[in-house]
Amino acid sequence: MPPALSYELLAKCSVTKARAAILHLPHGPVPLPIFMPVATQASLKGLTPEQLEETGCRLCLNNTYHLGLKPGQATLDAIGGAHKFQSWPHNILTVSFQMVSLLKLAKVTEEGVKFLSPHDGTPMLLTPEHSISLQNSIGSDIIMQLDDVIATTSPDLARMEEAMDRSVRWLDRCIKAHKYPERQNLFCIIQGGLDLDLRKRCTKEMVERDTPGIAIGGLSGGEEKAAYCKVVDTCTSLLPEKKPRYVMGVGYPEDLVVSIALGADMFDCVWPTRTARFGNAITSTGVLNLRNASFQNDFNPVEEGCTCVCCRPKEKGGLGITRAYIYHVAAKETAGAHLLTIHNVQYQLNLMKRARHAILEDKYPAFVKDFFGKVYSDKTNFPVWAVEALKGVGVDLLAD
Amino acid sequence: MSTTLSDLPPEMRAFTILKTSTTLAPRLGRLTLPGRKALETPHYLGNTSRGAVSHISQDNFQKNTSINGVYVALEDFVEKLPRQTPPLYQLESPKDESPLRDFIALPKDTVLVVGARRVPCIPCPTANTNSALSIYTSVGFRQISAEDYAAASRKVRPDIVVGLADIPYGQPQPGLKRIDKMSDRTEEWTKELVSQKNGLDKTAKAPKASYQIFAPILPLAKELQTWYLDHLIDDMLDDISGLAIYHAQFLADLPEQVQDLPRLSFDPPSSPGALLYQISLGMDIFTIPFITEATDAGISLDFAFPPSRSEVSGGEDAGKKYTLGVDMWQSEHALSVTPLSDNCSCYACTKHHRAYIQHLLSAKEMLGWVLIQIHNHAIMDAFFAGIRESIARGTFGEDKVAFEAFYKPELPEKSGQGPRVRGYQFKSGQNETKKNPAAYKVLNAPEESSSEAPTPNPDAVAGDLEKIGFAETAKS
Repeated sequence: MPPALSYELLAKCSVTKARAAILHLPHGPVPLPIFMPVATQASLKGLTPEQLEETGCRLCLNNTYHLGLKPGQATLDAIGGAHKFQSWPHNILTVSFQMVSLLKLAKVTEEGVKFLSPHDGTPMLLTPEHSISLQNSIGSDIIMQLDDVIATTSPDLARMEEAMDRSVRWLDRCIKAHKYPERQNLFCIIQGGLDLDLRKRCTKEMVERDTPGIAIGGLSGGEEKAAYCKVVDTCTSLLPEKKPRYVMGVGYPEDLVVSIALGADMFDCVWPTRTARFGNAITSTGVLNLRNASFQNDFNPVEEGCTCVCCRPKEKGGLGITRAYIYHVAAKETAGAHLLTIHNVQYQLNLMKRARHAILEDKYPAFVKDFFGKVYSDKTNFPVWAVEALKGVGVDLLAD
Repeated sequence: MSTTLSDLPPEMRAFTILKTSTTLAPRLGRLTLPGRKALETPHYLGNTSRGAVSHISQDNFQKNTSINGVYVALEDFVEKLPRQTPPLYQLESPKDESPLRDFIALPKDTVLVVGARRVPCIPCPTANTNSALSIYTSVGFRQISAEDYAAASRKVRPDIVVGLADIPYGQPQPGLKRIDKMSDRTEEWTKELVSQKNGLDKTAKAPKASYQIFAPILPLAKELQTWYLDHLIDDMLDDISGLAIYHAQFLADLPEQVQDLPRLSFDPPSSPGALLYQISLGMDIFTIPFITEATDAGISLDFAFPPSRSEVSGGEDAGKKYTLGVDMWQSEHALSVTPLSDNCSCYACTKHHRAYIQHLLSAKEMLGWVLIQIHNHAIMDAFFAGIRESIARGTFGEDKVAFEAFYKPELPEKSGQGPRVRGYQFKSGQNETKKNPAAYKVLNAPEESSSEAPTPNPDAVAGDLEKIGFAETAKS
């Protein structure tokens, strides 16, 4: 069965492992590398699909777990899937259940994940087959396997290995249960914690199963950044060139820029939209907490030169919203959260666009240096993990 | 000696009455302000909170609403007074433009009306003084002096400034002495506003940089505010362009000389029926809190004027009255791919369906309220357009009777939870329960761990989850 996507590699960085590509998906092409905003419950935190579209987003996330509970599979089947349900004409990726956060409440067995019903405490069982069936009803363009996720910080290596092996077995069950491989792309998820040998073994097993795309999971759970980079670097080196690589749960701008250099293509994170609701604006000089009184009389746009509808001046068809106005409404009126959410999403997408452009021109190392130079005023403040990780792929951040 | 409207210079005649019969009758008008879209009356102003119509970000306001004018309360902007100059006063805008309009990113052609207090306003525990009005800001109760208010009007230059009215909100029926004070203070404060504006007009080269003043009419019988009204007519008639009416029933008492001025209602109607009543008395412009109140309750407005059978969904019995709104929290909408109202052409109705909106509310996603708010304003736009056509046709009286016969008198009771309530939107009383239920509980609290799964749906029963195919009940 041919996959429902095609990966068109456009350019590779001659120094780092960065790649620029077009990923052709059932609901249109998307540029890689890409950041995918998270619309957990079929809505991107107050934005209409048109507002999300206007930021340039063509691929967003939904959460299988949340949609499975609400509105539920029957509703999704009746309405004809998540695209119709939320009036989103572009691509959707559904992340599977991140059971790592439920460890106290859930027990993983070979059959599936056992947990207590949220309402009446009845024991329930969720299997790989359920997960795929739900995602088939959702109709997302990219679906994820059910995996056994252990916190990377767990010291229990035996349990980690068990989880890794089980994730491989569950992938087989997911592939078997998948009803629409011709229109939905199933991605495997590489597990194995921070143990590089486990990761290598898992990568080999997963690659053999030849899914349309490959995700690196279990990361971004509070592990050291240096260890995170090693895992990504190790996995991407073993992955086939012609497939998209998705690192789950990553969203800080520094992490994105470094991970791209390590050969990753796709990222998702709730942080940009969540932090917007707390009044934090992502800019190329770092994150600004616009609830701070120092911004109350700051009549500059959130970020000078930003092309989002919030920052763009009135003369250019934007709203010309100032930092002072965001200060005025942050955490007081939801409209303020919506404006900053638009800005933050567009910032992330634009960062990816600029990175992609740099890769196409084979100037990614210079881009990385420029990026870190703007976020951190002084080289001595560069995070050590980023310096080290980039050194590993041939970029010396500290060199002039 | 009295002045009539025709004696006024032409730029003062911003308001044209297109059709009226007697004093207490509905009337058609047009409010034309330089550079703004004409406001055909009767009409309403979008009610803002901190510069935005609740739930509607400025880009949605431009793209997905047809709101022609907004009401902005100065108390939303002056937290720092008098200790610090409010940020709004420090924004410099081009000479002919309003810094407030820039600050809140209001479109150039939308009418901007400023008053001191929100609608509805929170009663303040401290009384007004001879020189200052008590207000409620996001950081607590403050006072703004009449002088500061007049200066603020010069600074922020809206299209229309509503004069300060000394109304003892939250107090028992005022006694005669207090009534005297109300009328005296309101007169003083209006004078202050007029004289500061005239000072500005003398220095300004372009008179259109200026603003119009709507004078308050107190919620008192004519005899009790004669002194104030006489001064208004004798000394200030040339300087006022409209009236702010705090109690609709006193429209009957308006002196002859101010009959032709536009009337802005600060007597919030509780329902569409109450609104029609005020229109029947000759009210022109409204601030309508029930629009946002309905939205917050998840109620999508569903009425038209005059009522038309084809526009109402459902086939109830002939004798039964139709509801004015649909409670979108109800699970009966979960599978409905129909719009909020048939024939509504708003963004929410053309691009989305009830099932999605019901889901958004029950998942407490902000977009649910966004979509209902867009829809509710579209319903009001159509409602007022229908009213104006009806007055033009001369059938308003009978259409109003038909409306009352067709619809229930009040909006439906709210059943679902609204969005989070903010401190500046209500004043807590004694022994009151929390307005916003706690969103999170203590993690791993003993006894509670099983009921406290990180799930969006606390109401899910295992059987239901099994039925919807989410998971199955464990056998072991």
